[in-house]
Amino acid sequence: MTSDESVIEQWLHSCVRCSNCKYVFREYSPSCPSGEHFGFETYYASGRIWLAQALYKGELEWESSLLDPIFACTTCGNCESQCLAPHSEYIVDMIEELRARAVQEIGGLPSHIRFRENVVQCHNPYGAEHHNRNLVETHSLPLQAETVYFVGCTSNYRETQIRDATISVLKKAGVDFTVVDEYCCGSPLIRTGQLDPVNEAAQHNADAIKDAGAKRVVTSCSGCYRTLSRDYPKLDIELGVEVVHITQFLKELIDKGAIVPRSTEHRPIITWHDPCHLGRHMGIYDEPRDVISTLPVDLVEMETTRENAWCCGAGGGAKAAYNDWSVETSKKRIEQALRTGAELIVTACPFCTRNLRDGSSEDGPPVIDITELVGRFI
Amino acid sequence: MVSLKEKFEKIVGADHVSDGSAERYVYSRDMTENPPREPQLVVMPSTAEEVQQIVRLANEERVPLVPFATGQNVGGLTIPQVDDAVIVDLKRMNRILNVDEEGMYMVVEPGVTFGHVRKYLDENHPNLRYTYAISSPFTSVIANALLQGLCDLSTRYGAMAEFINGLEAVLPTGEIVRVGSAILGDDNWFGRYPLPDLVGLFTGWQGMTGIVTKMALQLWPKKPFTRHFALFTFGEFMTTDLLKQIVRADLAEDAGALSFSVVKGLIGMPAPIEAIEGEPDYGTFLNLSGVTRLVLGGKVRLLEGIVNNSKVKEPKNLLIPFEAVARLMSEEAYGWVDFPSDSFKQLTEYDGLTWMGTYIHPRNWGEALVKGREIVEKYGYELMAFLKPMKGMHFCEFKFIIRFERDDENLKKVRQCNNELLDLALDLKAIPYKTPVWSAKKLHERADPNFVELVRRIRDLLDPNGIMNPGRWGL
Repeated sequence: MTSDESVIEQWLHSCVRCSNCKYVFREYSPSCPSGEHFGFETYYASGRIWLAQALYKGELEWESSLLDPIFACTTCGNCESQCLAPHSEYIVDMIEELRARAVQEIGGLPSHIRFRENVVQCHNPYGAEHHNRNLVETHSLPLQAETVYFVGCTSNYRETQIRDATISVLKKAGVDFTVVDEYCCGSPLIRTGQLDPVNEAAQHNADAIKDAGAKRVVTSCSGCYRTLSRDYPKLDIELGVEVVHITQFLKELIDKGAIVPRSTEHRPIITWHDPCHLGRHMGIYDEPRDVISTLPVDLVEMETTRENAWCCGAGGGAKAAYNDWSVETSKKRIEQALRTGAELIVTACPFCTRNLRDGSSEDGPPVIDITELVGRFI
Repeated sequence: MVSLKEKFEKIVGADHVSDGSAERYVYSRDMTENPPREPQLVVMPSTAEEVQQIVRLANEERVPLVPFATGQNVGGLTIPQVDDAVIVDLKRMNRILNVDEEGMYMVVEPGVTFGHVRKYLDENHPNLRYTYAISSPFTSVIANALLQGLCDLSTRYGAMAEFINGLEAVLPTGEIVRVGSAILGDDNWFGRYPLPDLVGLFTGWQGMTGIVTKMALQLWPKKPFTRHFALFTFGEFMTTDLLKQIVRADLAEDAGALSFSVVKGLIGMPAPIEAIEGEPDYGTFLNLSGVTRLVLGGKVRLLEGIVNNSKVKEPKNLLIPFEAVARLMSEEAYGWVDFPSDSFKQLTEYDGLTWMGTYIHPRNWGEALVKGREIVEKYGYELMAFLKPMKGMHFCEFKFIIRFERDDENLKKVRQCNNELLDLALDLKAIPYKTPVWSAKKLHERADPNFVELVRRIRDLLDPNGIMNPGRWGL
């Protein structure tokens, strides 16, 4: 990162540890997957803020037992939604700065270090062979186009059905698009405090998007969307193009008639999971619901939605470092989904898709991406 | 050799014990000016039996224990007073075990908070209510009752300890005991009398006489007809005189008065908030209720009459229906009277929060406010007094709240200010509540020495090895 401003320093005298961050305001249901599981005060946002302040002020020495309280957090941002104090909008930023400092001072977690090395060597955190641009040939895409589809590593190397559904929908809608030689957007590194390789990858992506002559980047990954939109400007990386999430783009395509969903006899009951990086981090709640409302499905909301939605458990490096807790967190979301009676759980983040599936039973409702849902009706 | 940590892990599981530096730091302090001290371990039991095993182990090992529910006491009361203490964090014990509709009580564990009670009652027993504090919604109801805090029924019924029907506790020597009518069985938590009132062995003791694992607390029927008013008044003596009249006439379920600065903060004025000459000194939220519309209407008319009479002395006194307040401020205003904890957000401005609070004889109430205000203004802090008529005007409460940045200079200044406020309070024979150790020691200097000695003897009798929160209350 290039910014020298410390958000921890900015809020060095904030947070009385009132506990508002722990529960949904006026609902009193749990908001924090980390605190709910681990229980100690240190695993809630307020505890982490106090640790960040203490380490900044030198009241606490860096040592390895700090790693779990610092990293066992999905950075879902639900604490920000519930906190009523002046620093509320900066809690995740404080945690991410705390993580960056931890990496500098005592090193990160082994699983995080592994995917950092993968990003450096293979340009994706999975260590998969970098083949992104092959999609141009596979799908007969132009080398330059008005729209760049930024696939994201998880969709390209793990949850490939999301990539394929997105390409299919964009093609059916007649969108002039291409795929560039994208590197990992840097989200997994920023979220886990491993900032040093981020600028180079970000600059590569900016150059690739520019070379494609694009006016717009659309991504089906909520993590990429947050990173390209919010983090790149902080890195002084100017893409110079509009960045939109696929849910926003689908709404636009439906509104202008480029996508016309067909009706069906059976209207499946579905429920919608708000990805943290799309919802709380970027404020996109209405567009996916607007898209769903045009489809022949019946949406039944879960008991926690929008800014209060329970996290899937995968974000912030939690899936890589704390898989058991991560899946336990997703199981709680699945329980909420089951209580709606939904036949399908729909979301718009490959990470959420993966972890919600990991938390589901085999005979439970399938977890699919919104592009797959739209694809079923066009 | 098995370490102490391993022994605790055997009781509660390895996931619920920590000696990490993060936990030792965070549990070593709170938001107040009280000095921190690190515990050696934090343990999180989930049952009374686990608490019992923890206490027995602590006796064997002579390890000091400090109970912790949610840490919202604003008095440094969960900060260890001796080295090598073990914090017993009770938040995993968070069940509402029973609500008895006919007996109008609930039985809860120490991790249950006001917010959770509110939600549970609204969803399952909508005709009943508990009483709510002006604290974070996530304050432990058991801790607040044990600490004799105040709430939004205190104007009528007194401090929160009055709401206790009985409790279950693990004594410092490890026995699980019950006090109150539930000594005859689980479904019988209807009250404390006629028995030796041993609830008093636990209330006000700040965790020195055992760990309370269960408590029965009174619930109240929701009144079918309610109205809320805001009363704006001038001058400490005229304000307290008017509140005394209103409460002695048995008009208000609750009357919580705030410095006008606090009212301004509630409507969004940013910190620091200064008092402006000519504005009211106090805003009081009044909650009136009746079993019929007629009863309520009669109370309203009587209230209006009392306030109108007060205008002979102070023509600017103003009584406003809360509907008008909500229109002027925001709909959020209804939240403050419906669930006072929602207004706590105003106190989250910085990383420091403290107050010097007392219960006081009604005759000294006005003087305490006048002189306390002078002290707070001398130190340059915002004027954030909170006062409440208690128990039908049998006694009163006042406190001066200070929100502050916890740097060295401010910590020193806050300590001096609170010291002066405490001296003032003791001069006026007020009893400080939720006393930090420094405050309790000052109280000892002025109190009947035989009382202090009795407290010490009872403590020693119950806790021969001195493991329960040693050093607390200056003992």
